[in-house]
Amino acid sequence: MTPEQLAELRHDLRTPLNHIIGYSEMLLEDSADPRLEETLDAAREALGLINAILGVPGAGTSDVARLYDALRVPRGRIVAAITALLPSADEGRDGTVTADLRKILGAAERLVPSDRRVSATAPPSQPRRESVESPELSGAPRARILVVDDGADNREVLRRRLERSGHAVEMAEHGRRALELLTTAPFDLVLLDVLMPELDGFAVLEAIKGNPALRDIPVIMISALDEMPSIVRCIERGAEDYLPKPFDPVLLRARINASLEKKRFRDQEVEYLREVGRVIEAATAVEAGTYRQGALGPVAQRADELGRLARVFDSMVVRMKAREERLRDQVRDLREDIEEARRTSKEFAIAVDGGNLRTGERLGQRFEILAVLGRGGMGTVYRARDLDLEEEVAVKTLRPEFVRDATLLERFKDEIRLARRLSDQHIVRTHDFGESGGVYFLTMEYVEGITVREVIDTRGRLGVSSTLAIGAQLAHSLAVAHEHGVIHRDIKPQNLLLDAAGILKVMDFGVARLAERTTSVTEAGLAVGTPAYMPPEQLMAEAVDARSDLYAAGVVLYECLTGRTPFEAPSVMVLVKKLLTEAPPSPAEFNPEVPPALAALVLRLLAKEPDDRIQTARELEQQLESLG
Amino acid sequence: MAKILLVEDNEMNRDMLSRRLQRKGYEVAMAVDGRQGVEMAKSGGYDLVLMDMSLPEIDGWEATRQLRAVPETRGLPIIGLTAHAMAGDREQALKAGCNDYDTKPVELPRLLAKIEALLSRPK
Repeated sequence: MTPEQLAELRHDLRTPLNHIIGYSEMLLEDSADPRLEETLDAAREALGLINAILGVPGAGTSDVARLYDALRVPRGRIVAAITALLPSADEGRDGTVTADLRKILGAAERLVPSDRRVSATAPPSQPRRESVESPELSGAPRARILVVDDGADNREVLRRRLERSGHAVEMAEHGRRALELLTTAPFDLVLLDVLMPELDGFAVLEAIKGNPALRDIPVIMISALDEMPSIVRCIERGAEDYLPKPFDPVLLRARINASLEKKRFRDQEVEYLREVGRVIEAATAVEAGTYRQGALGPVAQRADELGRLARVFDSMVVRMKAREERLRDQVRDLREDIEEARRTSKEFAIAVDGGNLRTGERLGQRFEILAVLGRGGMGTVYRARDLDLEEEVAVKTLRPEFVRDATLLERFKDEIRLARRLSDQHIVRTHDFGESGGVYFLTMEYVEGITVREVIDTRGRLGVSSTLAIGAQLAHSLAVAHEHGVIHRDIKPQNLLLDAAGILKVMDFGVARLAERTTSVTEAGLAVGTPAYMPPEQLMAEAVDARSDLYAAGVVLYECLTGRTPFEAPSVMVLVKKLLTEAPPSPAEFNPEVPPALAALVLRLLAKEPDDRIQTARELEQQLESLG
Repeated sequence: MAKILLVEDNEMNRDMLSRRLQRKGYEVAMAVDGRQGVEMAKSGGYDLVLMDMSLPEIDGWEATRQLRAVPETRGLPIIGLTAHAMAGDREQALKAGCNDYDTKPVELPRLLAKIEALLSRPK
């Protein structure tokens, strides 16, 4: 061994002895305990051994081995004496004596050299072990750990312990080096000394926690000073744990394992969240129309709930796309029907006679009448210009007999208030209810299109595909309205508008409330036209609910498929009687193209008892889509 | 009360020696490496420096040389400390400008005697 190596070894051995002697002397000033005297005596003996064996010029590796053996005796005396002192050390005091005794124990531990220092010169078959600790066999998870300490002794002690636990250890002698190492390779854990020159442990901790790439690496702070303020400081800055030096080997191992375990959970969580992110990305892609089937591949292979979610998501998207394609085909057929109807619908426009308002006339200083759009049982619908908002609207005037009853009018206003909240692609928006010069009127979104009435009348009947396109859109609008507590009460082909793109919009939500009084059998709907679309409960002026709209939707589908309503009769009275008592013929009787499932669905909607019908518009929508 | 600057990188040595000196009635400030030691010493207010010789950044010899190179700290008493106990350490320390020298483990009575001797000498 070179003189330098010997000097370094001597220094490494004297430093812990320095600590042992210093702390023991200090404690002896307070209490002349014989066990402290014994400690001091043993430490001096160790010092003597070091000087005697290593002080000789030309001392070799065999001398070093001899010294280690010899040091076991004084070291054992120190450990025994201090261990005996520990239990009663702090009676009535604040823990400082215990802390100092632990420092002595820690120093005694460091009295034994590291394996590496010996194996560099000694045969590898004689590795040195610390007697207090037995080597771990297995079970401890392997990890990459960075030890940051300016004290070479401390680094060595930690390295040895950690390597024996199966961990890979890197060491940094100061903070800057630590940060360098952290950015070059991944670590599972950092053991960080608090008091270091230049860049201290707090600064390194802050740098780690402030770096998004390093933030998740757990940091255990180590310090010889068992001080509350510095512990608090570390925890506040995000340290995982705080370990006072000298280390209790069992505690050290337990804390390191606990930190690594937590890190593993955190890593799993981060990975999990990353995959959740992929599902969210996929959802965004679906909205943008760029989702490709199987794009969730790796996530879908997971065995857990997230994997299931990804698989369900993927298959749902595939089904949805198929459905969209079907709908597109249906709408294309429907558009052909619409175009055909438009070509001949001029006659209808001419056939509609004018209402009470003339073109150019103004209603309530705000609406300029442009044209008559249609005339129904309740009043006339005009196309008008909203002079305030500079846009075209539809204005529906209400015949005076509908607004005479104040109670009914209030109820109607409530209904309109509800209907105004509906906002959907398939619902004509209701804007306002007003009165001007004794004329009550409703303003609505103006939709340029034709009614399903016109399409049926010009086409005779519609194909299955067009009917499904109308039915699904109608069911969708009803589902939205019903979920908002709005029942239409007057679903019929006249109230269903189709624009040029084949988008169906339902109008007059809430309006039928006004006509309710007059829709009982006694007045037989004369005011609002035919009762052909009314379910028995509505005809009998009984409780009307969402299922009443579904009955009416069934009649609309029936009429689309066959060109006629389920019951035909020479008079209203006969019609009502049939409506209340007779089972409707299957639509397939009038149109052999109607598939049995669709015919059955329509008949189910036409059940006399609401309980026997399909119960919700949402369910109807799904069933119609599944038939496409 | 005399104020001592303890320049020592070893945390336990710092803790131990500072507490022992405080018990003896000294006020103790600490630096953890040579660079900080030089800065603190130059900022003034210390009666004596206990300088560990093996320090990171700037070692004790160099730190002592730097303190001797400027007028404000030229006369500041410095006691060098080392655990090496190599022959020649003492000479080197004195040559670098230390007023005295001691080895670690510190024998406190001996160190205190050296401190007192330096503090009581005529300025």
